Amino acid sequence: MIEIIGVSKSYNRGAVKAVDNVSINIRNGEIFGFLGPNGAGKTTLIKMIAGILNADEGTIKINGMDIKENPLEAKMQFGFVPDDPNIFSRLTGLEYLNFMADVYKVPAATRLGLMQTLLQRFEIAAAAGDLIQSYSHGMKQKIVVIGALLHTPPVWILDEPMTGLDPRSSFDLKKMMREHADAGNTVFFSTHVLDVAEKVCDRLAIINKGRVILSGSMQEIHTQLGAKQSLERLFLEITENE
Amino acid sequence: MNRMLALLKALLINSLGISVIRTKARTDKLAYLKLIALGALIIAGLAPTIWLYAKMLIQGYDLLAPIEQQGALLVLGIVLVSTMIFFFGIFYVINYFYFARDAQNVLALPLSGWQVLGARFSLVLVYEYLTQLPFLLPPLIVFGLKSGAPLAYWLYACLGFFLVPLLPLSLATIPTLIIMRFANLGRRKDLFKILGGIIVLILAIGYQLFIQRTGINNMDALLIQNLLTEQNGVIKMISRVFPSAQYLALALISAEKITGLLNMLTFTALSGLALALTWLIGDRLYFKGLVGSSETTARRKVITSSDYSKMSRVAPAWLSYCRKEILLLFRVPTYFMNCVLTNLLVPVFLIIPFLFQPQDEKAIPWAELIAQPGLQTILMAVIVGAVIFLSGSNAVASTSLSREGREFYISKYIPLSYRQQVLAKLLSAYILAISGTILILIGAIIIMPLDLTQIFTIFIVCLTAIAPVTEAGILIDIFRPKLDWDNEQKAVKQNFNVIISILFSILLGGSVIFIVIRWIDSPTMAAAFMITCFSLVALVLYNLLMTKGIEQYRKIEG
Ligand SMILES: Nc1ncnc2c1ncn2[C@@H]1O[C@H](COP(=O)(O)OP(=O)(O)O)[C@@H](O)[C@H]1O
Ligand SMILES: [Mg+2]
Repeated sequence: MIEIIGVSKSYNRGAVKAVDNVSINIRNGEIFGFLGPNGAGKTTLIKMIAGILNADEGTIKINGMDIKENPLEAKMQFGFVPDDPNIFSRLTGLEYLNFMADVYKVPAATRLGLMQTLLQRFEIAAAAGDLIQSYSHGMKQKIVVIGALLHTPPVWILDEPMTGLDPRSSFDLKKMMREHADAGNTVFFSTHVLDVAEKVCDRLAIINKGRVILSGSMQEIHTQLGAKQSLERLFLEITENE
Repeated sequence: MNRMLALLKALLINSLGISVIRTKARTDKLAYLKLIALGALIIAGLAPTIWLYAKMLIQGYDLLAPIEQQGALLVLGIVLVSTMIFFFGIFYVINYFYFARDAQNVLALPLSGWQVLGARFSLVLVYEYLTQLPFLLPPLIVFGLKSGAPLAYWLYACLGFFLVPLLPLSLATIPTLIIMRFANLGRRKDLFKILGGIIVLILAIGYQLFIQRTGINNMDALLIQNLLTEQNGVIKMISRVFPSAQYLALALISAEKITGLLNMLTFTALSGLALALTWLIGDRLYFKGLVGSSETTARRKVITSSDYSKMSRVAPAWLSYCRKEILLLFRVPTYFMNCVLTNLLVPVFLIIPFLFQPQDEKAIPWAELIAQPGLQTILMAVIVGAVIFLSGSNAVASTSLSREGREFYISKYIPLSYRQQVLAKLLSAYILAISGTILILIGAIIIMPLDLTQIFTIFIVCLTAIAPVTEAGILIDIFRPKLDWDNEQKAVKQNFNVIISILFSILLGGSVIFIVIRWIDSPTMAAAFMITCFSLVALVLYNLLMTKGIEQYRKIEG
């Protein structure tokens, strides 16, 4: 469960308002999509949820834990996948995963099995002993995803996770997201691709210029729009008016 | 040529941060003013030193003029600057030619080897001009004014100023080009690059040693007499270190004569030749050394379960974080060269002059010195001072946040408290400082006959002395981290925090050592005093780090 209440954030001392008074409630057991064109403010909001950026206003709670008041407990609740997999390129994949496992206090007994399973599932087991520097963009993305899942977090926060993944891994990840949500957990992810949002999400919010313009289940959104306008048309209009 | 200039312009704007300054001037007036104030502060800080230098030169001129050796001032300046350029050049060339993150991007551009090399060479040259300015300009001006030099002198001086770095920089570039060409053949590129860098440095040190042995140290009374009686004899002697320097010096001294012109032409020709040779060799070797220097070993070998369990030992989070810090210091070539290697090399540089002293009765009588309590105290203070300076300048603590760069966001979202992260960084910096301390101590033991108690005492003093220095380094970097860089260079080499940290270490070490040397005679008292002082400062800084430092760390956004 993620509660976002009245969150705002601006860059350059107020010159750019990237997120403007956003409130969203993401429930357990659902995949929540965050859809918006480039520069809409998706990454900014996600970074505030993860504690990377400090919100100017508002509160964010993950499974009831406030990211400002209880940062460590809140951070244990989620696994985070950034949009740009900038990670320690001079560590090997295994060293990175081990670092993450240590940091998230994953016991020795579970970490080995989990690492192996995930590495095989994403088909990068053969590269695990090599420096991350030698990985392709997609492989980096995969190792970050695995690192984020090692401590079996109840909440997943993923920033444009499908970008850079091959169709097979993208399919796998979507399947894992579904399974995770169906087990009563929370998945929150952002995307700028309408197709992905329509197919994967239980509920979604459409964001533009830092403001949420529409939110709800697919059905609710369609009723709000009325029969005439399709979601695709709306999304195109938003992007054109840039 | 045009394309080379275009590339040079792009490199210059990028590496001097001109666009950033311009944007700041427009959008963030306060930051811009801060930047200007900082620049003014540096100049103001340097001014007294330069003034002192100029005064020394004037006195030297008056002293040397009666024996007709005043030209030595010029040659001394030129040789000093050439040597400096040679050494800095090695670092600059390795860093800017090969280690820069954007180095390989140019491979995709339709440019040939000499164009790219020329642009990068010129970029380094610009840095070298800036470096030599405060060292070379004073002797040129002092000599010119004092001797009432003719117009030709000033012309030669101007031309000479721009020609001086060409030869030493070429001497630094050519071996680097050759070694890097072969260093990149292997599969473990980073390792080979580091080894290549070390080999170049060893060659450079070897060259200096060779000069030192055959040159200045071997002079006897007769030689000195000859030198002094022969006009400009000193010039010939000093310029043995950099033989080409004497041509420029002689050209300047006899500017009005035809020999002056001849010497100037010789110097110009030599510099031109060196430049041409570098570009010729660079055209053939540079790209070959650069191509694939980002390819890393990828064995893509399936890992067995035993490998897994070997590689996945469980450690506490803070320890894992500290291990990551140290691993990256050793694995990123730029960090290794600038943080770890300086730690190892500075002690070696300090020891060498003593090791290669002439082994005759004129050598320093260490045993006698140490026998006197007062002198022993001074020796101890000097060793501690060297350790403080080394740990202040090794750039581990003072770039510990900056080095993370865009990866800093990881530190923000992992569930490891900022306090523990800071402590882990402190620990890794402390461990590196201790390794430098041990090397300096080993050097001291080789040079002087210290007994076990003395060694132990000095070690304990050093352990307390490096604590405030590393703490200060981390504090400085927390308050002005440099996270937005695209090139690892910028995190360590072009990071002003390192200079602040050096200044702090000089201030702290200097004041404590000054008190010890001035007022304390007994070694035991001195040790007790130093331990108390450093511990107190360490305690204060620790508290500051744990309160204000952590608070600030929380505010930094990834
Ligand atoms: N570090 C930053 N400094 C200044 N402006 C930023 C910064 N990061 C993002 N922005 C601006 O904030 C807005 C939202 O960006 P972002 O959250 O990255 O959008 P998205 O992820 O939806 O593409 C954009 O207008 C972007 O230019
Ligand atoms: Mg984004």
